Amino acid sequence: MTRVLGPVIALSVIGLLVFVLAKGFGSDPHAVPFMLSGKKATNFKIKRLDTDEDVTLEQFKGQPVVINFWATWCGPCKMEHPVLEDAWRRYERQVVFLGIVFEDTEANTKRFLAENGHTFPQLFDPKSTVPVDYGVSGVPETYFITRDGVIKGKVAAPFSDPRQLDPLIGGILQ
Amino acid sequence: MNSTLGYGLVLLGLACAAFAAVVGLVTGMTRREGALVWVQRAVYGFAASMLLSNLVMVKALLEHDFSVKYVAQVGSKATPTIFTIVSLWSALEGSILFWGAIMGVYLFAFAWTYRREHGRYMQLALGVMAAIAVFFAFLIAGPANPWTALSNPPLDGPGPNPLLQNHPLMIIHPPMLYLGYVGMTVPFGIAAGALLRGELGDAWLVPLRKWTLVPWLFLSVGIILGSWWAYAVLGWGGYWAWDPVENASFMPWLTATAFMHSTMVLERKKSLKLWTIALALGSFVLTIIGTFMTRSGVFNSVHSFTQSDIGPTFLVFIAIILVFSVLVLTVRGHLLVAESHLETVVSREGSILVNNLVFVALTFTVLLGTLFPLVTEALQQKKISVGEPYFNAMALPLGLLMLFLMGVGPMLPWGKADPKVLTQQALIPGLLGLVTLPPVLAWRYAVWAPLGGGEKTLPAFFAALRSGDWMALATFGVGTFVTVVTLREMFLPAQQRMAEQKETLLTALVVSASRARRRFGGYVVHLGIVAIVVAVAASSAYRVAAEKTLKAGEAMQVGEYQVRFDGLAQGKEPHREWVAANVTVISPTGAQWQHHAVEAPRMNYYERSNDPIGSPLVHEMFFRDVYVSLRTYDGKTQSATFNAWVFPLVGWIWYSIPLLVLGTLIALWPQRKPVAQVKAEVPQGAATGTT
Amino acid sequence: MTALAVALSLVLSQGYAPQRQGLDPLEAEKEARVMRLGKQLRCAVCQGVSIADSPASMARAQLDKVRELVAEGKSDEQINAYFIERYGEWVLLEPTKGGLNAVLWVGPLALLGVGLLVIVLQSRRRPAALVTAPAEAAPAPSPDDALLAQVRADLEK
Repeated sequence: MTRVLGPVIALSVIGLLVFVLAKGFGSDPHAVPFMLSGKKATNFKIKRLDTDEDVTLEQFKGQPVVINFWATWCGPCKMEHPVLEDAWRRYERQVVFLGIVFEDTEANTKRFLAENGHTFPQLFDPKSTVPVDYGVSGVPETYFITRDGVIKGKVAAPFSDPRQLDPLIGGILQ
Repeated sequence: MNSTLGYGLVLLGLACAAFAAVVGLVTGMTRREGALVWVQRAVYGFAASMLLSNLVMVKALLEHDFSVKYVAQVGSKATPTIFTIVSLWSALEGSILFWGAIMGVYLFAFAWTYRREHGRYMQLALGVMAAIAVFFAFLIAGPANPWTALSNPPLDGPGPNPLLQNHPLMIIHPPMLYLGYVGMTVPFGIAAGALLRGELGDAWLVPLRKWTLVPWLFLSVGIILGSWWAYAVLGWGGYWAWDPVENASFMPWLTATAFMHSTMVLERKKSLKLWTIALALGSFVLTIIGTFMTRSGVFNSVHSFTQSDIGPTFLVFIAIILVFSVLVLTVRGHLLVAESHLETVVSREGSILVNNLVFVALTFTVLLGTLFPLVTEALQQKKISVGEPYFNAMALPLGLLMLFLMGVGPMLPWGKADPKVLTQQALIPGLLGLVTLPPVLAWRYAVWAPLGGGEKTLPAFFAALRSGDWMALATFGVGTFVTVVTLREMFLPAQQRMAEQKETLLTALVVSASRARRRFGGYVVHLGIVAIVVAVAASSAYRVAAEKTLKAGEAMQVGEYQVRFDGLAQGKEPHREWVAANVTVISPTGAQWQHHAVEAPRMNYYERSNDPIGSPLVHEMFFRDVYVSLRTYDGKTQSATFNAWVFPLVGWIWYSIPLLVLGTLIALWPQRKPVAQVKAEVPQGAATGTT
Repeated sequence: MTALAVALSLVLSQGYAPQRQGLDPLEAEKEARVMRLGKQLRCAVCQGVSIADSPASMARAQLDKVRELVAEGKSDEQINAYFIERYGEWVLLEPTKGGLNAVLWVGPLALLGVGLLVIVLQSRRRPAALVTAPAEAAPAPSPDDALLAQVRADLEK
């Protein structure tokens, strides 16, 4: 009896171990869970880089909002910049676009924006409290917020084509 | 050209390994011993082709032959030569190729050492090892092939990962670990060979033990060097973070250490056979699981290489060796029946049993904690983290228990202990252990508390004791106890000889040590482990931290020391640029140590990395390190923000390496060699005893 | 001393994450709480390092948040809840003890307990109950087997 029991237990433990390890392949170990989906977006009050006036989330109440966290030291963010500008042009009248600069210097950001041009407001958050409030886990990250100020979803990767935003913006336009 | 030659050699190695595996296993099972010479030749062929393939890769790296995929991936003309050579193992494909070379060296060494004796198990042992070699050669030839030829070679490459270029320790830490990991193949082969053959006499035990001790030493040194590297490079003073890959190297170390102890019971009492063999097999399996963790991309770790598709191949291999191990133990289990019986726990064998239990419980904790996030994700679709606080909470008490056993075990006799003798023996070391506590407490209260930001009030003092300080204190007490016991056990036989044979201390010591090399060597290793444990306790419980922004010329206080900021400097090297904050460390006695330019805390800028990579200043002293990290700097205002720490005793972790090496060498030294050869080794041990 | 003109091409051209200073530490007692809480929270961009230990800018921002919440007088539970709300239980370096996680905390202790029990029971068992071990399958030592002789010699020590 015990001669059979031992190996059977050992083999089932092996099966379990291999199952658990194999399950691991499906998931990205670097992915950080995102919990704020469907939750009310935290309000903020930070200044616009070009005009120095304070911007709050509340002032856009009733309009869908897209917030992009980015920085000039992040290569993918720089590649994403023209894509977001394109997307903004497509939705100019329907959706508010905001850029929030993450952990960068004002000088670097201003230089980059001057060289590459920009349209929608870019906000500067000197203490990076907004990204923490929003559960950011790296840059670039783009948040989609409904008219009622509820976070509908986020994309934790750069966009390479403005059309990739269509379904997501469609979701917050309703 | 390079890629064809290198790949051809890999294929040749694969063919040789496959031949050795098939012939070794088949003729071994059918007991045709005449085929051994063919197995040996094939093993030599595998070793030679793997070594040559690695040499070709080094040549390709040095020539900057970017037509080879791996060179294009990690090479760069700007990288200094030494780091170009090191980049052989700086990324996935190269590290597996390097793994193949080490495998070749081990298999060659084993086959060569026993080329004349011990033929009965050689075929099967070599056959099993060669079968494992087939797996790795297959990985190199297929899923992780570094030799792919690029039709449009780039003009220059990105260079290796900046973290690896930042410190010379990175040159020796990975090879040491690989030597430890790969070396576990040999004990696995010996144990599996003996089991397959069904002859479990004493003859396999000595090679099994010796060939476990070799990788054990490399693994120990590799782990310590890795923690030293983390400490010297990462910039927050940490040396161990329970990262999945640190855990992966720690687990086989634990089981191999347990094996080394249980093997004593096996030899002496002819019991614990199944257990000991299982530990030998398990240590190898754990090294493979560890490699899987580093290479599969399933775990988030500092060490993980980029996502790769070798994970599934590895997983299949893990399943095969696990099932094989269980089956072979089941089929041959009847050979592993104990021939003696445990009379009482209070005996040498009893203490070793408890020691093994603690080692296995610790291994289980580490494995469980490392894998558990995968479990919750698979079963509950919930991501959780199991980090440092969990491992510390679970492992530190077990570690303390282990330390205690290290003192108790050597005092206990085999068989049954006489309580009276035991009390008598424990009295002096125990008292000395207690005597260490008041000075430490006094120092903690009067010197450390005010410096460490704590309050010098009795309530604050007791509150701190309750909240975890007691563990450090207990470690010092038990550490002293263990040291006294160990030294006594080391010198007692010599003392007897001096009394009986009228020999001088040195002669008596050399003779008694060389009569019982394993015992003596083992105690030297124990002293090294005590040094590590005490250093870990002291440096984590009694560190002092400070953070401050300084203008040039200003100084900050950290512990008893002052750190003065002397201004910023910058420099340019072919592979990087840096900005340094020159500092001078000033001791309480007024001694000044200048650390400028490359010796100062710095930010390094590499082309391949977005974040600057800091290098802290580690001002090493025997009893404490002053550690200064540059957090930010401002060129306009000539100011810089520093994090500074004083870590007591932290260096002892790495200073233990010579003790571990010395002890292992003493234990490994062949018994038949004349005593004169050992003489050179022993006086160092004697010196520690007389001080 | 003149200001350091950064003349390094990489530093200028490529753009690196500037390292910034955190908020000023709070008074000793509160700051100790900040550090203790920080040790338990996982940095969102690092490799399993706590926000108190990581030099990354994100960790600094997260630690500042802890400071802010401590300064506002929030309890430990409230502060943990703030981070769990955003990053899930993933953010806790020390997993909770409820539910399936109990395995994590009880498992090793159970192993230790069962092991100790087995050892104690083994030593209680009367030696008479032990079946005489079957003869070793190993062949009798032959005088020419030097290795075996050595093992014997080893064992006599």
